[in-house]
Amino acid sequence: MTIDYSEKIPNNVGLADNRTLQRALEHWQPGFQSWWADMGPEGTSNYDVYLRTATSVDPKGWAHFDYVKMPDYRWGIFLAPAEAGRQVNFGAHKGEAAWQDVPGEYRSNLRRLIVTQGDTEPASVEQQRHLGLTAPSLYDLRNLFQVNVEEGRHLWAMVYLLHAYFGRDGREEAEALLERRSGDADNPRILGAFNEKTPDWLAFFMFTYFTDRDGKYQLASLAESGFDPLARTCRFMLTEEAHHMFVGESGVGRVIQRTCDAMKELASDDVAKLRAAGVIDLPTIQRYLNFHFSVTMDLFGADVSSNAATFYSTGLKGRFDEARLDDDHLLAGATYPVLEVRDGRLATIEAPMLNALNEKLRDDYIKDAAAGVERWNRIIEKAGIPFRLRVPHKAFHRKIGPLSAAHVDPDGHVVDAGTWAKHEREWLPSAQDRAFVASLMGPVAEPGRYANWIAPPARGINNQPADFAYVRFG
Amino acid sequence: MVNGKHRLAARFYHQDAPLAAIRAAAGRALGADEALALGLVTAAPDDLEWSDELRLALEERASLSPDALTGMEANLRFGPGETMATRVFGRLSAWQNWIFIRPNATGESGALKVFGTGSKAKFNRERV
Repeated sequence: MTIDYSEKIPNNVGLADNRTLQRALEHWQPGFQSWWADMGPEGTSNYDVYLRTATSVDPKGWAHFDYVKMPDYRWGIFLAPAEAGRQVNFGAHKGEAAWQDVPGEYRSNLRRLIVTQGDTEPASVEQQRHLGLTAPSLYDLRNLFQVNVEEGRHLWAMVYLLHAYFGRDGREEAEALLERRSGDADNPRILGAFNEKTPDWLAFFMFTYFTDRDGKYQLASLAESGFDPLARTCRFMLTEEAHHMFVGESGVGRVIQRTCDAMKELASDDVAKLRAAGVIDLPTIQRYLNFHFSVTMDLFGADVSSNAATFYSTGLKGRFDEARLDDDHLLAGATYPVLEVRDGRLATIEAPMLNALNEKLRDDYIKDAAAGVERWNRIIEKAGIPFRLRVPHKAFHRKIGPLSAAHVDPDGHVVDAGTWAKHEREWLPSAQDRAFVASLMGPVAEPGRYANWIAPPARGINNQPADFAYVRFG
Repeated sequence: MVNGKHRLAARFYHQDAPLAAIRAAAGRALGADEALALGLVTAAPDDLEWSDELRLALEERASLSPDALTGMEANLRFGPGETMATRVFGRLSAWQNWIFIRPNATGESGALKVFGTGSKAKFNRERV
C-alpha cells in the first residue's frame, strides 16, 4: 500500500522517507481517530468548521483557514526550523553540540518530560468535550474547536518524538496517551488540573487563560532543551498556544465587558439584580479566577524539587528565556527565595537555585498572568466601576508541596481551618455560583448573535465580518 | 543456586505454565520472536529499530556506575524467597561490597552523596 504521507499528514520531518515513523504512525493513527470519535467534541463529526490548519512552518503555511470537518482535520507534525550550530545552553553539558538523538543516559527522564507534557493535550480536549453544546456564539464555538484540534496536534507533536526517538518504549507510551482519561478514577490523566471538570464557558475561558499559560511556560522551558528535536517541536507549538491564551483573555474580557455594561444600565452592583439580568457578577468572576489560578499554581510542581534540579543540570529542561538570562547557566551555589509555613506564618527561605527552578518558573508565570488581569481591570475602570480583579497570593489554595499543609487566604495570610471554612465561599466558586453560571449556558447558533452574558468580540477571526457563519451544522 | 532453586524457575516465580512452555521448547533452536514470547529474552528489536535500541541500551548502561550495576545484579540475583545463603550472597554482599564502601556511591561526588542536588555524580570506571 502506498500512502501519500505529506498529503495525509502535513509534516516537515521527512515522514515519507522514515519507515520507522511510518510504521509507528500507521498503528497509532487509527487509535487517535477512534479516541477523537469517543472523547473529542461531542456530536460534531458532521460540522463544517472554519479552522486554521498548519500546512508548513513558514509564515504563509502555518495559518491556512478553511471549512473542515474535524475528523478530517489534517493533524500535522512540525518542527521549527533547525538553528545551525545550536548548542546545549545550560547545565553540565553547556557548550556541547545540541543532541540530535536521545542520549541513552537521559532516555527515561526525557521520556517522562515528554509524556507528562503530551498527556495534558488530549486531557484538555476530554475536559472540554461537552462545551460545544452550550456555546454562546458561532464565533466562540469555532474558537473552542480550534483549541481542540490544536491540542490534538500538540498530542501528535509529542507522539512524534516518542515514535521517532524512543523505540518500543516510546510506542507503548504513545498508546497509553490514548488510554488515560481525564477524571477517570482508575486511569486518570497525570496532572491534577487536567482531571478537573471544565463545566461551563467561564471555566473554559479561565482555563485557556490560566492553565494554557502554564502550557506556554512549560513549552518555553522545553524549547530550551539540549535535545534539539524537543526544542524545535516546542518552539512551533508555542505559536499555536498563543491563540489559546487569546481565546481566554478575550473571552473573560468580553464577559467582564457585558457585566460592566449591565451594571451601568442598572446603575447597580447588587449581585442579585445582576444575576436576575442574566450576567455574571464581578465577585463570581473573581472566585473563578482564584480557583483557576490556584489550580494552575500546582502544575509547576513542588517548590523545592530534586527532579527540577536534575532536569536542568542534565540539559533537558531550561528556564524561561534561558538564553537571554545573564548568569553562568550552571547555577551551582546560587539560591532562590521559596516560601514555607513557619510558626503559623509564611516565611521566605533561600533554597538552592537548582532545586527551586519550579518556583522560579512559577514566579515568571505569575508576572505574565497578572499583567493580563490588569488589562481586564482597564475594562472595569473604563466603565467607571470601583472594583478590581486580582490574582490571589501564590500560596492560596495549594494542593501540592509544603504550602498545601496550610490554609492560606488570597492575601497570603495563614488562617485556621475555621476561618477558611467561614470564608471559602467568598474565595472560591460555590456550588451555587457554579449552578448560576451553568444556568446561563445555552447554545446560540445564529451567525452574529451572542448570548446575553457575553459581549461580541472586537473583530472576527481572520478578519471575517461580524455575521460570519464560523460553523455550519451538517 | 545456593537456595536450591533453579534459575529459570526463580525468574518465572515458580509458575507452572511458563516453565512448562520452556521445557517443551528445550533442545530446539529458538528464533528471536519465540524466545521473546517465552520470556527468555528482554527485548527483540527488529531491523528498523535494532541500531537505535542497542545504542540507547548501551549508552544507558554505560552512564551508570559500574559498581552499582554489579551491586544491582547481586541484589536481584536470587529472586523472591530468601534463605540465609541468599541474604549473604545477595543483598548483604551487594550493599556491603558494592555500594556502601565504594567511592562511586559514597565518595565526594558519588551517586548517593549528590542525589537530589542536581549535580551529576562522577564515577571512577577503573576497578578501585
